[in-house]
Amino acid sequence: MMDGASGPAVAVERTAPAATAGPRLLELTGITKRFPGVVALDRVDFDLRPGEVHVLFGENGAGKSTLINIIAGTFPADEGSYVYDGREIRRLTPHQAREIGISPVFQEFSLVPDLTVVENLFLGRERTSFGFLSAAAMRQRAEEVIAELGFDLNPRAKIRELSRAHQQMVEIAKALLAEVRLLILDEPTASLTESETSKLFELIERLRGQGVGIIYVSHRMREIKQLADRITVLRDGKLVKTLDSQGVTENELVELMTGRKIDVLFPKIDHRPGEVGLKVQGLTTANHTVEDVDFVARAGEVTGVAGLVGCGKSELIRAIYGLEPLSAGTIEVFGQPMHHITPRKSLDRGVCYFPSDRVVEGLALTRPIRENASMAALDLPQFARLKILRQVSERRAIQEIVDRLRLRPPNIERVVQNLSGGNRQKVMLARGLTRETRLFLFDEPTVGIDVGAKIEVYELMKQLVEAGAAIVLVSSELPEVLHLSNRVYVMHRAHVVAELSGAEMTEQNVLASFFEGDRSIERKKRAQA
Amino acid sequence: MAEAKPVDRSDATASAEDATRRLQRRIRMTQALLPVVLLLMLLGFAAAEPRVLSFGNLANVLQQASYLFVFALAQMCVIVTRGFDLSLGTNVSAVSVLSALTLTGLVGAEGNGVAVAIFAGLLVGLGFGALVGVFNGLVVAWLRVNPFIATLGSLNICLGVASMASDGRPVFNVPDAFSQIFYSGTILGVEMPIIYAAVIGIAMALMFSRTVLGRSLFLIGSNPRAAEVAGLPTRRYLTAAYVLAGALAAFGSLMLTARTGSGEPNLGGGLRLVGESIAAAVIGGVSLRGGVGGVEAALIGALFITVLSNGMNLVRVDGYIQMIVLGAVLIGAIFLDRFRRT
Repeated sequence: MMDGASGPAVAVERTAPAATAGPRLLELTGITKRFPGVVALDRVDFDLRPGEVHVLFGENGAGKSTLINIIAGTFPADEGSYVYDGREIRRLTPHQAREIGISPVFQEFSLVPDLTVVENLFLGRERTSFGFLSAAAMRQRAEEVIAELGFDLNPRAKIRELSRAHQQMVEIAKALLAEVRLLILDEPTASLTESETSKLFELIERLRGQGVGIIYVSHRMREIKQLADRITVLRDGKLVKTLDSQGVTENELVELMTGRKIDVLFPKIDHRPGEVGLKVQGLTTANHTVEDVDFVARAGEVTGVAGLVGCGKSELIRAIYGLEPLSAGTIEVFGQPMHHITPRKSLDRGVCYFPSDRVVEGLALTRPIRENASMAALDLPQFARLKILRQVSERRAIQEIVDRLRLRPPNIERVVQNLSGGNRQKVMLARGLTRETRLFLFDEPTVGIDVGAKIEVYELMKQLVEAGAAIVLVSSELPEVLHLSNRVYVMHRAHVVAELSGAEMTEQNVLASFFEGDRSIERKKRAQA
Repeated sequence: MAEAKPVDRSDATASAEDATRRLQRRIRMTQALLPVVLLLMLLGFAAAEPRVLSFGNLANVLQQASYLFVFALAQMCVIVTRGFDLSLGTNVSAVSVLSALTLTGLVGAEGNGVAVAIFAGLLVGLGFGALVGVFNGLVVAWLRVNPFIATLGSLNICLGVASMASDGRPVFNVPDAFSQIFYSGTILGVEMPIIYAAVIGIAMALMFSRTVLGRSLFLIGSNPRAAEVAGLPTRRYLTAAYVLAGALAAFGSLMLTARTGSGEPNLGGGLRLVGESIAAAVIGGVSLRGGVGGVEAALIGALFITVLSNGMNLVRVDGYIQMIVLGAVLIGAIFLDRFRRT
């Protein structure tokens, strides 16, 4: 056991012999990691100072996850040296890593759904007295940590009952329960609301002040600007550059990351609103995540839905597709009323929904790209006749779509599990192109994918709209909704609180409509009472 | 702490996790080498008892494996959807009794009407097996009952049916013609069980690779939510998987009934056949977590289990010890599956 790990982080930092160890908490040199068929990391150098936020930046598949997994001890590097706190570390395990103060928060959660928040926090390091669990002590410590983080989290709630955002908070709390010297955050804000995000940032500041080194993986430019001391850009498993965040521009970073010049992130879409593709009136879902919503989307335009996580915007389009039971309201698709909607009926009417959580709802990970892409089209004569698959025709059709989406490598027999986030999203989108689709429902289409893939997704949306399709874009990324949409609905607490178009579509107006929304929702409630 | 020597700490805690990692790698390799392992096992038994490699015994192994192959295929239909079928064994017993009763009831005193009787017996057997499947499928897919509980229930139902219909006694006097068609006959010198297994194997391979049903079963097993969002009629296909499993089990039962020449109320032996069929499928590479598998997996798994029991018989391992070994193999198979993809 290493004795230093038991002391508080600050104390350790003060006693650390800065002269001999140098001001480096972590120093990786020449790290190489090969997986069957790929070199995930190729002689990468990386270092972290105490009290620094070091952002890892790169496209999916660039090697960021591999690097943080090596740091966290998930698997070892094939080559290179790993020096932590002045000493060479070999054969690190996740357990040891935690003991020496390395705490990772990964994107994939490691929580047990049927246990409570407290039980999860102490999983594997339960506090006991005389062999019995000291429930009270654990609950108290959990409450302290949660309070310190400023999270709105009930320690006794079961994980299963929590939203994704709350689960993320539990993960973060779990990482901070023990003494931390090196914190790894892998896109921690992907599912947090604005206020939760700002609390997380306050916390990061505090930890930084205490001398904790933080490795922060993110695609979000605003966060990077706000937090980063240094930025390391990876591309195709190679170190492109480590630079000070001072004076770095967004375009510069994107260029470093993609290796190509990118003038504009968002394409200019030529909206030509025509026929009404979707008309929703008085829609209320059975669980009241959506209440009394009126909504119109036209062919030839992108209709955006903005709002905070949990405001009901996602449930709105899920209900339209037939994934949420309704309690009131009508839905018309291209003039035809829809009753008892199921995904099957929606697909038949030319409606396609792309779920935000590709792992849970989108993809059959153990199956090849081809099968995933044709999954929603097995009823079409092009793919199957008399319930017998037409393999040649299927292969040809899917290959064509995959080429159009520029999936790399374009091998349609690869198992989806092995693909990066961007490629997985393309496989999902391929599904909308296998059949005649007139209304596309995008739910957070760029969550967890890199800028290069984002641009390609935007480009696809542009093509679809300009070819006359109707698109509904639900996104928590305000710039994304505002730049791509012709009109934007703002949702707040299950209601549509504003509809913005033209020059009104600004971040300020969206934020302002949340507050106005609060007031009008209260008024409505009082009127009803 | 600062002066600690610059080497990795801890071999004690580290080595445990390292060992797991090494083990995972080794297991993944074993998977690819399964045919080799099978051969080594055969040679190992042969070293102790040369008769293992005699032509007669190898032919016997092949014939024995035919039955288990059919049952492993039945099991695979539902395992790829993340389910399994515990009722397979008692389903086999019930089908054996019911079809034997039909056969003996319809054959006249002078042995006339055999063709009609055999046809009716086949129909009753397959019909009952499919019915059990319909029941399992409805309970699992529509009532959303866990496959373990659902098929545990039908296990008991089938046991009741088998015991009630037979009064607990074997049904004798199954016509010879039946045994000839399903057991003792040969085509071009190949025994009937092997022929049926081959035909069923090919049919199932085509079903899994060439039909919408087969494709959908894999997709549903891989991610049931995604299959639903993609508009697949998941409940209908899930039911079909259980019906297929029930019907295949019934056909296997007819093959076994023809071999014993009587309807046996304990033919499926409670859970023994269930355990062997699941073990065979899983050892071959069908994942209990769904979405992964293939007919070749069921085949190699069935051969593996058959060679193992045949070898143990020939080297005269005690019957009870054999049961213990097979139980351990089932657990080992599931352990393998857990580590295979992580």
